[in-house]
Amino acid sequence: MIRFDHLTYTYPGAALPALNDVSLVLPEGELILVIGPSGSGKSTLLRCINGLVPHFSGGALAGNVRVRGLDPVAATPKVLSRQVGFVFQDPEAQFVMDRVEDEIAFALENAAMSPQEMRVRVEETLDLLDLEPLRDRPLKTLSGGERQRVAIAAALALRPHILVLDEPTSQLDPKSAEDVLNSLVRLNSDLGITILVAEHRLERVLPFVDRILYLPDDGGPILIDDPRTVLNQIELGPPLVNLGKALNWQPLPLTIKEGLRFSRTWMEKQTASHRPPVAGSKWPAAGAARGLLHGRAPYLQAQKVSMQYGSRTVVRGVDFAVWPGEVVALMGRNGAGKTTLLKSLVGLVRPQAGTVRIDGEPIAGREVAEICQKVGYLPQDPNTLLFADTVREEMMVTLRNHGLASKTNGEWRVATGARAADPVELLRRLRLTDKADAYPRDLSVGERQRVALAAITITLPGALLLDEPTRGLDYLAKRELIALLKEWRAGGMAIVLVTHDVELAAALADRVVLMSQGEVIADGAPAEVLGASPLFAPQVARLFPNMGWLTAEDVLLSQER
Amino acid sequence: MKNVENLTPRRQDARTPGAQLAARPITHPVAWVFWVAAVLVALTTTRNPFYLALVLAMIGWVLVVRGRRDLASQPAAPEISVVRFGLIVVVTSALFNMLMVHVGDHVLFTLPEAIPLFGGPLTLEALVYGALNGLVLAGLFAAFTVLNRVLPVRAVLRLVPRAYYPAAVVMSIAVTFAPTALQQVQQIREAQAVRGHRVRGVRSWLPLIVPLLEGSMERSMQLAEAMMARGFASAEAQPDKRPQLLMLVGLVALVTGWLMRLVWQQPLVGSGLLLAGALALGSALVLAGRQHPHTVYRPDAWHKSDLAVVAGAILTAMIYLLPWPGLDRSSLFYYPYPALTWPAFNPIIGVATLGLALPVFVR
Repeated sequence: MIRFDHLTYTYPGAALPALNDVSLVLPEGELILVIGPSGSGKSTLLRCINGLVPHFSGGALAGNVRVRGLDPVAATPKVLSRQVGFVFQDPEAQFVMDRVEDEIAFALENAAMSPQEMRVRVEETLDLLDLEPLRDRPLKTLSGGERQRVAIAAALALRPHILVLDEPTSQLDPKSAEDVLNSLVRLNSDLGITILVAEHRLERVLPFVDRILYLPDDGGPILIDDPRTVLNQIELGPPLVNLGKALNWQPLPLTIKEGLRFSRTWMEKQTASHRPPVAGSKWPAAGAARGLLHGRAPYLQAQKVSMQYGSRTVVRGVDFAVWPGEVVALMGRNGAGKTTLLKSLVGLVRPQAGTVRIDGEPIAGREVAEICQKVGYLPQDPNTLLFADTVREEMMVTLRNHGLASKTNGEWRVATGARAADPVELLRRLRLTDKADAYPRDLSVGERQRVALAAITITLPGALLLDEPTRGLDYLAKRELIALLKEWRAGGMAIVLVTHDVELAAALADRVVLMSQGEVIADGAPAEVLGASPLFAPQVARLFPNMGWLTAEDVLLSQER
Repeated sequence: MKNVENLTPRRQDARTPGAQLAARPITHPVAWVFWVAAVLVALTTTRNPFYLALVLAMIGWVLVVRGRRDLASQPAAPEISVVRFGLIVVVTSALFNMLMVHVGDHVLFTLPEAIPLFGGPLTLEALVYGALNGLVLAGLFAAFTVLNRVLPVRAVLRLVPRAYYPAAVVMSIAVTFAPTALQQVQQIREAQAVRGHRVRGVRSWLPLIVPLLEGSMERSMQLAEAMMARGFASAEAQPDKRPQLLMLVGLVALVTGWLMRLVWQQPLVGSGLLLAGALALGSALVLAGRQHPHTVYRPDAWHKSDLAVVAGAILTAMIYLLPWPGLDRSSLFYYPYPALTWPAFNPIIGVATLGLALPVFVR
């Protein structure tokens, strides 16, 4: 049993406590999902369980924590490591050794276990997570999902009774994330290990969760109860749950199977009274728009582009075009050539064959610095972009790089007559006005991404390319990003998203391009491409097959009509 | 030790695709350390071309046989060819020595004195001595190439005494950290390029360095946290001062012993002191190691063949290092100055050198 008793904790140098008077009891043997917006103290709460807070972080702690009768504050994380296994967000940043087996043995070596016993433990742990075939592999040759499973194995080697995971899948693609979550479910149901997992991807775990712990960031009450009760009280949730709440389906469906029962009866009633439109409620309008657009020239165009790394062909004769005012989602498995194609559009990689045109002009022979004034590119990790002291300065750096800034009275400003956005206006649009003087790296993940976007779009590019923009974002930050991109689309920007996030594509894309083995295998309306796919179909498309609906909004709109 | 069966090294599993590291070294890492130590002793003791050639031949043999058979890791970067490196070193060293050292009877030709440093007579003796020094360097390079090929990084780290366990872990992390940092650099370069960054002058490196440092810092903090969560703790306050004292005594003994041998010409007393110093250092490490309780997963097994390798190495080192009654070691100290002479060869020393070849016969 884990018990928090009036726990208040403040990080060193922080004005406000990260946790304020938290009292909780978490029963043993359950799979507990910890949710809440970023900044609500999820990570802090989890780290109190094994003593990393306050032993690693410092800071002031008041109140009491008891983990299976132990006090993590009085005992050290070393003692707690036998009771609590901990898995972190980034699989790469938690490895000490270079091989799977050695990594698992690390905690056992620290515990001075005898070699014979250690040998048995490592074998058992390998079997527990199906890692036997990988035991000799160097960690750097593993995929993200495999690495995270090794991290879980390493945390379980000491046979702790409690396993704590802090957003273990936020850096993974959906397939790997599913592997990891499935192993968690198995560990909990087969071995009865108590599992606490902070997670943004609710849809996969919800059916297996015994309890949800919800931490608000606005000082509201902390909720801990069975999933349906909590989800009924809070705003965030996967599309299925949101739709269920909007249509008052009770008990709230958590799986597609449960949801289908409701959706069928709902459809029958609708057909009787309203007659909802046939396939593609959203598409006819967008389709007409596309007809109009296609009279014009595309803003970005790749013609017969091929790319090789060594002897491996990554992109094979791809034709790809984006018109102003449309959002294209580029989807497919890992290694399908999506990112490479995206990079070729800004000249970061140069195709061996074929041409790339921006606004009708071929980019061959032009510098990246010149191309990127017309096409913005947001890399997967926005941190790689940020280095200036303030948010405002980040924008000025880009302008100076392009020679679009001038110095007046010791302060850099947009040069007169330069083709650039008004920094104040751009920050307002990105909702960063009050962060203009903040140090970019101190901001939250979502805010940092918006700073990176500010630094990129200050030159008013006609197109924006985003590589996995929702990785690591919570529901709220994701919603803000979608709103922002819709605004830019309305302003006539051509937008390309490389993403695994089906719900993002469903909510935003006008067109979906599917790639496999370096070739484009499908290019069409989201309802056509996503709706029919067993793998990529969003939850709503699964609930209402052949209706052309992709998001909860689509369903609700059809009802109002 | 019981249960040795359990702990014997397992050959690389052929089923695992992409496996690059041999799981366990075939010859015990400690045996390899003895072998390399013996090679170092032999190479640094003598300048006699016969013995040097013999030592080089032994290293080459081991390199060809073992270096191929138990390749521990796919070389990360293409290895420099040992032969090519050796030739370059020998030639450069010979020419350099000839140009710099104007001593010896056999003058090949004379450079005008007006040229600073190089001016003066160029002698055959200097050329030969330079080449011999080059041979020693080539031998060292070849010996470490052998180690690099036969031992995985992890095996080498296990050799670090327990007292330095935290340091060893840090080294292990550094080994895995470097490639990640390189990857990061590439990503950062691209990210900065797409906002119009061009590399010009020193200041323009800032956008590349700041994200790299910040990113590395963040990841180090995460790693430190992850290690703490898995029970890794640095040593608590050490009340025991004996290890430090022993270490000091050991170091003093080592230095005195070395001076005795070299400066005061007291080889026997000197060697004794060296031995005592090494013992003191060793026990200091053992004592200090007790303060960091931890065990080793699947320790490398010690075979009879390892003993043979160690014995061979000790034999060679002893003959090269110590005076033995009835053994004329004068041929070891060959010196081409002032006039080049034909070096002598003692068959006993020659046979003892063969001790370095034993790793070749380990199956």
